[in-house]
Amino acid sequence: MFFRMIRGAFTRQWKKMLMIALTIALGASLATAMLGVMMDVGDKVNQELKTYGANITVVPKASSVIGNLYEVEGGESGETAYLREDELGKIKTIFWAFNIVDFSPFIDTEVTLPDGAGVKLVGTWFNHHLALPTGEELDTGVKNLRTWWSIEDGRWIDEGLDVYEPNCVMVGSVLAEREGLRVGDWLHVSAPYGENDLIVCGIFDSGDDADEQLYAPMDVVQALSDTDGYLTSIEVSALTTPDNELAERAAKDPSSLSIADYELWYCTAYVSSICYQLQEVITDSVASPVRQVADSEGAILEKTELLMVLITILSLIGSALGITNLVTASVMERSNELGLLKAIGAKDGAISALVLTEVILTGIVGAAIGYFAGLGFAQIIGHTVFGSSIAMKPLVLPVVAVLVLVVTLAGSVPAIRMLLKLRPAEVLHGR
Amino acid sequence: MTKRKMFLRMITASLVRRRSRMLVALLAIAVGATILSGLVTIYYDVPRQMGAQFRNYGANMIFLAASNEARFDLDTVRRGVACIDAEELVGVAPYRYETVRIHEQPILAAGTDLDGAKATSPYWHIDGEWPSARYEVLVGQETAEFLGLKTGDVFNATWSSGEEEEDVLNLGVDMKVAGILETGGSEEEYLYMSLSDMEELAGETEKLDVVELSVSASADELKAYEQDIEANVPDIAPRLVKRVTESESTVLTKLQSLVFLVTAVVLVLTMICVATTMTAVVTERRKEIGLRKSLGASDGSIIWEFMGEGLLLGGVGGILGSILGFAFAQFVSVHVFSSSITYQPALLPVTILVSVLVTGLACLLPVRSATEVDPALVLKGE
Repeated sequence: MFFRMIRGAFTRQWKKMLMIALTIALGASLATAMLGVMMDVGDKVNQELKTYGANITVVPKASSVIGNLYEVEGGESGETAYLREDELGKIKTIFWAFNIVDFSPFIDTEVTLPDGAGVKLVGTWFNHHLALPTGEELDTGVKNLRTWWSIEDGRWIDEGLDVYEPNCVMVGSVLAEREGLRVGDWLHVSAPYGENDLIVCGIFDSGDDADEQLYAPMDVVQALSDTDGYLTSIEVSALTTPDNELAERAAKDPSSLSIADYELWYCTAYVSSICYQLQEVITDSVASPVRQVADSEGAILEKTELLMVLITILSLIGSALGITNLVTASVMERSNELGLLKAIGAKDGAISALVLTEVILTGIVGAAIGYFAGLGFAQIIGHTVFGSSIAMKPLVLPVVAVLVLVVTLAGSVPAIRMLLKLRPAEVLHGR
Repeated sequence: MTKRKMFLRMITASLVRRRSRMLVALLAIAVGATILSGLVTIYYDVPRQMGAQFRNYGANMIFLAASNEARFDLDTVRRGVACIDAEELVGVAPYRYETVRIHEQPILAAGTDLDGAKATSPYWHIDGEWPSARYEVLVGQETAEFLGLKTGDVFNATWSSGEEEEDVLNLGVDMKVAGILETGGSEEEYLYMSLSDMEELAGETEKLDVVELSVSASADELKAYEQDIEANVPDIAPRLVKRVTESESTVLTKLQSLVFLVTAVVLVLTMICVATTMTAVVTERRKEIGLRKSLGASDGSIIWEFMGEGLLLGGVGGILGSILGFAFAQFVSVHVFSSSITYQPALLPVTILVSVLVTGLACLLPVRSATEVDPALVLKGE
């Protein structure tokens, strides 16, 4: 009899049930989409913030900037420390290798132009194709690390292409204007250890010091400065977790931590722990966070996440109230039916069970539809805003399920109790 | 009793007597209106609030001397800064660079307005304190390591004018390390002191080397300022720090479109929710409609009454929602950005209008379908 009544409710009142299911589906899809976006927004914004460039620089231990000051004093004979080029692949073998988005080595040297002007020539990767020992492949270089450069004329050096014309150079806009250089011009440069003719293949505007520099492929500069296989610095762009108190303590001295704290720190993507791990794999190096980028990232990530959390809470409350409201309204609407059931002798428990089963069955159907619709909404948001899909965390499904269950019960139980309190005669009379 | 009085009485009576149901409807509308006004307020305020966060990245505009002959001193800078809206200006830090000798080593020293530097470069990590007294300095980490200086140390700094006789007489100044500066960038190789200390050490000169400005404005506004200053103060060559301005507009556009899309999705879904609830509340009253019709009420008057009720609910819910929504936006702003939100006055009528429209539409459909049916059928309960 119970099942028959339920079936009856669904077949005869399908319009009303459909409406309840629809509202629950709307609420559930809203909750799913917002929770999904909220949980992934940190990673997505982190990716976007990579446009600010590297957040970690690695330099040789002995050298650092003071070395350059020394050179002014002691001339070219000064000992300069270098990093080793063959260790670059190791960057992608550290614990947080997956979080390292881009990196690029740098070697720089002073060269003299035909008119006697001294210019800094920087050797680097542009879009270097790297096959790692782990089997992973990766294209990385300054093209990704200098997103704010605009190419005024010509093009980026393409390492995939330029194997046939390796003597390409990119010229900063200020330097190009001063020297009257144009794309396609040949530029003769001489350095203490050699000289070369380079062809200008692009002129860029960076808005900083690089506008007065030359950028060329690594091997060209290494040949000119007799530093084959060596580097002066590496810039690394990594996805990091905003620093907290533990990270700050660890950054000062990792050995001061307790073992548990140390493990927690080492296994969290703090900028300081990634720096530490980089120092472990690169011989005689000092890796330090670029505060300008690392700190600001932390602040912006935190704010964005908090903003999304609050918006999500508002929309969860909104969808919860929406569902509760409709369920309450639709239960109260059935006062006549419940009154009649009571009048012909149904127990309160039986009536409650009947109504609750109906509502929950509708809720399950609605929630299921809403969950999948919500996945769709989240992906629409992800693709429109970030151009990539949102990774749905597995936590979303149980949260939405519990939410819908609690909300439908909260909507129906008080209404049922209120109706049961009324006397059947009054209800049937239409009061 | 006039027609209008009767109309009002029927509306108020139905609202008062059917209290609980009307409360349900009102709640639904108020929630919808809260979400509408709250999210839209946040959406409009996000660029401003987030823009302030992006100032963490430091200076986005620098002033250089237009030429070697140009006058480039604090007065000129002030004239340049005057072109920028004071509300948008986060900080100005003028820099003058000199080489000083410490322990007979040449070290690059920068004289600046330390408060300005604090505002333009919030990412500076200081181990120790910001200098507060005369002859207190910040030492970059590289330099500190190289010279073996620690916080609290006192050292002697001299400046070479280039003429040997004067240099012998120059005893220099004793300076105290107030803090060690850590940035991970080239700032670590410098020594920072106040402009006045620098003047005492290296002699007075009117010329600055560079001025860093942090302006809370979009890339387009910054370009307008750049042109404005170039035209009005010919001694200054303003330059935008492309790395900061370009990246900021990329990321900020993404964030704004994120909030926009989220707001749109939430609003559409909430409005549908509000509409279904209203529909459910009205559908329940099919019998009442049938009864009125059989008593001789015209379709028009019934629709009018229901619409009147709906519009009243919509208006009240809209006002309630506007207030709650503003409270929510304010809460978010204070907790996320620790600053007050700017209220959009235009939002109040928009919120009320939208809630009235949504409720009106949601009522209209079920009422019309109820009036179209034969009253006898409706009363019978079909």
